[in-house]
Amino acid sequence: MEQTQQTDVIVTEGVTKVYTADGIPVNALNGIDLTIQSGEFTALVGPSGSGKTTFLNIISGLDSPTEGKVWLAGKVLSEMSGNELSDFRRDNIGFIFQAYNLIPVLTVEENIEYIMLLAGVPKAERHERVLAMLEVVGLKGVADRTPTQLSGGQQQRVAIARAMVSEPAIILADEPTANLDSKTGADLLEMMRHLNAETGMTFIFSTHDPMVMENAQRLITLRDGRIDSDEAK
Amino acid sequence: MWLILVKLAWRNIFRNKRRTFIAATAIGIGLTALIFIDAFMIGMEDTMIRTATASFLGDAQIHREGFRDEQEASMTIQALDDVTASLAEEASVQHFTHRVLVSGMITSPANVSAINLVGVHPPTEKFLSLIDDAVTEGAYFEGENSRDIVIGAKLAEILEIELGDRVVVTVAQAGTGELSQEMFRISGIYHFADEAMNSGMAFVRIQKAQEMLAIGNNVHEIAIKFTSIAYSQDTTLPFWDTYSQLGNEVLSWTELMSQLTVVLEMTKYTKYIMGVILFGVVIFGIINTLFMSLYERMFEFGVLRAVGTRPFGMARVILFEAGALAIVSIGLGAILGFVLTAVLAHVGIDYTGIEMMGVTMQEFIYPVLEIQQFIIYPIWVFIFTIIAGLYPARYVAKVVPVDAMRRSF
Repeated sequence: MEQTQQTDVIVTEGVTKVYTADGIPVNALNGIDLTIQSGEFTALVGPSGSGKTTFLNIISGLDSPTEGKVWLAGKVLSEMSGNELSDFRRDNIGFIFQAYNLIPVLTVEENIEYIMLLAGVPKAERHERVLAMLEVVGLKGVADRTPTQLSGGQQQRVAIARAMVSEPAIILADEPTANLDSKTGADLLEMMRHLNAETGMTFIFSTHDPMVMENAQRLITLRDGRIDSDEAK
Repeated sequence: MWLILVKLAWRNIFRNKRRTFIAATAIGIGLTALIFIDAFMIGMEDTMIRTATASFLGDAQIHREGFRDEQEASMTIQALDDVTASLAEEASVQHFTHRVLVSGMITSPANVSAINLVGVHPPTEKFLSLIDDAVTEGAYFEGENSRDIVIGAKLAEILEIELGDRVVVTVAQAGTGELSQEMFRISGIYHFADEAMNSGMAFVRIQKAQEMLAIGNNVHEIAIKFTSIAYSQDTTLPFWDTYSQLGNEVLSWTELMSQLTVVLEMTKYTKYIMGVILFGVVIFGIINTLFMSLYERMFEFGVLRAVGTRPFGMARVILFEAGALAIVSIGLGAILGFVLTAVLAHVGIDYTGIEMMGVTMQEFIYPVLEIQQFIIYPIWVFIFTIIAGLYPARYVAKVVPVDAMRRSF
């Protein structure tokens, strides 16, 4: 592959990952070829151990494949240095974690603005964007609170705000609704669906949640480290 | 960016208050120990110098050149009257006294012992030595009896004599070498912490000593006390040249007790060695604390890396935490160090009678607080804490996000 197309935000070619557990090689991914286009709302599904997490790690540059290549927004991840990869993640990828993973000693505002601080966004602009983002996720007025003063649903909204505030091209979400009750999960999913439609950001979920699967435009099923099915809805 | 990392570090160290308090106390105690050791060393040096100079030596001494090596009774100070008159005019000289020194033999009905016989001028000698204060039995040259002799308690024990007993002192006369014997009556017995002074010295009036040695009005030694002891180490003072003429030599206590000077120099190195050992212990404590804190929050470090923090940024978080820990520790250590040292500087530490590096302490040691102890050592602690933080900082910088976040992605 010489060049990704403009709308191809993620392209993987023959991505293989082999772990060694107690000296025994375990194939987590077996030659995955996949293309995800910008603006997609995609769910990665499959049983535990199917390779969803490993695949997300690799396409986000948090881990490297044993074989194969990953293009993200036109760049080959394996060709980047440590600092380049950090900057690339900062500018292009937003993460939403299952356990929210907000920094407990920072306030809501500080958690959200952290990525903008890394990018050198001026203070006034950061503040403005944080407040705007909090309004978008329905958390107006909590900027000065710490994560422990918020409910699980509210924390996940802050995590979504943190992921989206720097307007990355891709949002990677690992089981974002797994720790939430169904009503809160449905609300958040609706919100992300809405943001996807409005901003055109690419959302990729790893999930077991049928509600997420129902809302996804594209459903990729992994099994034993291979793509078992790939269906657009 | 710096500000958020500083905030992150400062707040993180207070996440586990108990652990931070224990770690800061350990580091603080290290600082306290350094402050105290420094203050104690200064106090000990002062006491040792004071003990060495005030007991008998004086801040400086004038002798005939070569007398100290030869110990020849005939080698008396040249132009004594001129030297004495000149010393009386010296602004830097507070007191001085004449002495006659000779080796001899003291005999009692029961025993005999070798001694250093010292002829002193009691009215001026009291400003240069502590013999008068150390007399525990009898008196220090009261009245005009020329046959009074004051000896140490240990010598009295060796000779099996008591106050009022008679002894015979034998010395060799200057020039002829003829033996000269005089009978004395024990008029005073002193007790010094220094055993050598207790057992090997005897004091008589200077006129009697001059008479025994047949040296007229001449003396072997002039002991000098300056208005400030600092003069004794001031080599730029014209004093040293002025009195090192006419065949005489003047030496400061640092030259007279060169071994003490060397020992005092060595105490500085002792202080540095103790500092290094203390900091060694403290460093491992800091590394341990930072690693415990780091492992507890490994997942957060994974998140920070994942969202785009560069490896150096991660290292900075840990270095700032080390710095924040150092600041808290320095606050604790400085307060503790001040309180402990100030209390002991007030009440003193009883080292009397203990021989340290060739000097037997005559008085309490009072640690000396100095402002630089609260500047230099805290800076050291801060720098060492940051150095200690480099290892965990490097570890965090090299963290692989996916390994740190194993529980999620």
